[in-house]
Amino acid sequence: MPERIKHAPLDKDKIKQPRAEIHLLKDQCKGCGYCIEFCPKKVLEESDEINIKGIRPPRIVDESQCIMCGFCTAVCPDFAIFVVEKPPTENAKHA
Amino acid sequence: MCHCGLNIAGSVDCEEVAEYATTLPHVVLAQDNQYTCSDQGQAEIKNDIKEHKLNRVVVASCSPRLHEPTFRKACEEAGLNKYLFEMANIREHCSWVHLYDRKSATEKAKDLVKMAVAKAALLQPSEEIEVPIARKALVIGGGVAGIQAALDLADTGYKVYLVEKEPSIGGMMARIDKTFPTMDCSICILAPKMSDAGHHPNIELLSNAEVTEVKGYIGNFRAKVLKKARYVTKDCSACGECAKACPVIAPNEFDVGLATRHAIYTPFIQAVPSTYIIDMNLCLNKQGVIVCDKCTKACERQAIKFEMKPETQELEVGTIVVATGADVFDPSGLPNYGYGKFPNVITSLEFERLINAGGPSGGHLIRPSDKQIPKRVAFVQCVGSRSDKNGRLYCSNVCCMNTIKDSLLIKEHWPDTGIYVFYVDIRAYGKGFEDLYKRAKKAGVVFIRGLPAEIVEDKKTHNLWLIGENTLQNELYRISADMTILSIGLEARKDSEMIQRLLTLSRNQDGFFLEAHPKLRPVDAATGGVFFAGCAESPKDIKDSVTQASAAAARAGILMAKGKVTVEAITPIIYAGKCKACGLCVKVCPYNALVLDKDRKQVSVIEAACGGCGTCAAECAFGALTQNHFTDEQITAQIDAVTEHNAKKKIVAFCCNWCSYAGADFAGVSRMQYPPNVRIIRTMCSGRVAPKFIERAFVRGAGAVLVTGCHIGDCHYINANYQTQKRVERLWKKMEQNGLDRERLQLLWASAAEGERFASKIREMQPKVENVKTEEIEKARKVFEKALGGS
Repeated sequence: MPERIKHAPLDKDKIKQPRAEIHLLKDQCKGCGYCIEFCPKKVLEESDEINIKGIRPPRIVDESQCIMCGFCTAVCPDFAIFVVEKPPTENAKHA
Repeated sequence: MCHCGLNIAGSVDCEEVAEYATTLPHVVLAQDNQYTCSDQGQAEIKNDIKEHKLNRVVVASCSPRLHEPTFRKACEEAGLNKYLFEMANIREHCSWVHLYDRKSATEKAKDLVKMAVAKAALLQPSEEIEVPIARKALVIGGGVAGIQAALDLADTGYKVYLVEKEPSIGGMMARIDKTFPTMDCSICILAPKMSDAGHHPNIELLSNAEVTEVKGYIGNFRAKVLKKARYVTKDCSACGECAKACPVIAPNEFDVGLATRHAIYTPFIQAVPSTYIIDMNLCLNKQGVIVCDKCTKACERQAIKFEMKPETQELEVGTIVVATGADVFDPSGLPNYGYGKFPNVITSLEFERLINAGGPSGGHLIRPSDKQIPKRVAFVQCVGSRSDKNGRLYCSNVCCMNTIKDSLLIKEHWPDTGIYVFYVDIRAYGKGFEDLYKRAKKAGVVFIRGLPAEIVEDKKTHNLWLIGENTLQNELYRISADMTILSIGLEARKDSEMIQRLLTLSRNQDGFFLEAHPKLRPVDAATGGVFFAGCAESPKDIKDSVTQASAAAARAGILMAKGKVTVEAITPIIYAGKCKACGLCVKVCPYNALVLDKDRKQVSVIEAACGGCGTCAAECAFGALTQNHFTDEQITAQIDAVTEHNAKKKIVAFCCNWCSYAGADFAGVSRMQYPPNVRIIRTMCSGRVAPKFIERAFVRGAGAVLVTGCHIGDCHYINANYQTQKRVERLWKKMEQNGLDRERLQLLWASAAEGERFASKIREMQPKVENVKTEEIEKARKVFEKALGGS
């Protein structure tokens, strides 16, 4: 359907994306970069920080972009990343 | 010699032309009558054939595109082979375009008759071959027109492939809330039809698919359909659990973005097929990496398969119905209406989704800025229609009634709403339309003639001011409204060019597909075996679309019921003795219908595959190949007839049957006047115009030569007109090298709808022909005589 979309969806406010809380166990990270590579929303990037192992762990760019697919947890060889859901601030149901 | 009432006799002295005809070689009898196409006129032809033992018949009347089949049939009934009949077009190409110059028109008519007689003398009887018709149909487009055509054909008993680009059939009608003038619920009456089409044993529904290639000809089309991957198998029960699990959210196109959907979705609840689909542009899983498997986990039936690949299906069909529909006009290009800038200016399509109970607001008319029910609503008509500046020239046919229906819908739910309709003219022309219009007026809808010049927004409240002139009362208005609905027009699909190329169709200047005859063959395409239904042909309402769809189904059914079709005997004739086996003809053939046998040094033709353009005949330098019914001798005889007297003042024009000849006909039908010095020779394709014809015309002293054809890319014979271009360019080069004025040879691409383009070309060439000097004519004669000497 080729019509151009000009108006924001009317139910925009009702949709509540799950709010993710990303936990990085930085010292456990060995810097393989899988999480950065595979995150579909590009939530993570390499940081300037140096951890206990002397490598650069990832850094969170924008936590609100995370949709909690959980792939980072799945691919991390060192169990260094996991995501939990924050309780929604509004009562609106997830569409 | 037909008078056609006063259509011809009004500007041509028919008796004089008839008398002149008797003086032409081979003519034994010349008659003139009122209407030659009438039963009486045809009976006269039949009698004369028998009584005078005629072996050739020439009728000078209208365009052969109109009545050639009629007269051919009459000849056949009198026992004369139909290929021994020839027509002179003295109506569209003469009387109608020279309405006020009786003397010149009569002279031109004489010339046209002379040309036809010259060709007729060389005509040969031919037999047409019969090819079988596959009893299967392809319907392109699954809107209401496509669905209706598919159902009608399937119910008749033919196998139908219904191809739809979107994930679901239903088209525009599925998105509309109510229909006018009966106020039926649109989806309620459409959904059963969609479901029927989805479950019919004779219909194979190919949704989310596109036709990518069509080869072949009437009765024997081979189409390739690309079935894009759905990533959900038929096991889907449409429970919707997957969509609930999907974390990706995007605007739903079906609701014009007013509601959201997920990456896995169904566009609307009644979709057929009901199978969900994954939008891979949105899905997180790319290039085989399954990042997110939430939908897979949610699906109890395990119907989601990320590894699905697009497939190409090949279909063999006998007939094709084009029901590709129309797009809506995009008003964001009109800055004075503020669409896209002001939240409360919406289009009529967005309105349909808003007022629809299944739509994003659950049927509550709310305005986008604050989601409140508006108290005052304005409709602006003709947005994108009937304007040479802002949009399209034509009337979109449905918007007036749609607005009246919409205004009544608002009044039904919220009777206190103030409604203002700003219009140019209200066109309530159909059955029950006027009643609805009256009802709307009675319900208190205010109709104001004069479109707003500008819509201004109050920044705080987002209310709108509509400012313009009431042209009935000659006063300015400034009316405030909480919401404004732009009644947008319909326009040709942006991708109709692709369908046009696939099926070698023509489109009119508005971009809609052109029918074979506006009155008598309104659903047939010029391409045999192709039919139109719905808005693809022109903007129309649901009733007209359904009517046309049934008509198209019936027309396609006639062909398939017969089971066979005769192919016009205009295939190449090969003189094996002259053939040097150079293979040039094989190279230029758009249909691969010629085969070169290198060992035997011979070319043979596959007649069933031949399209009949004749471009092979034009390419052959040895005269080993010619086109039946358009032979070198016949065309040369026509050229010679034109150039016998006063050649210097004449333009010899070659027109292709499908585009430019039809365009010249259109100029006639529209009574566009142009100078009477042009003489048109009809070929099937401009690709038939061999350089030697043009050279011959110059040798005979013609003032100018005009070669015309379909626009590049639109050729009825795939790409044969590329050869035309090459040949003309070669001649131009030759003319320049020899110091000739290349302006005397003109090339024009004109479609069947571009009558004015043809007429203005003749007007443009007129002074050139008037001023061409005798020395120049002589010089050209010498140059080209040398060239022709060889062949």
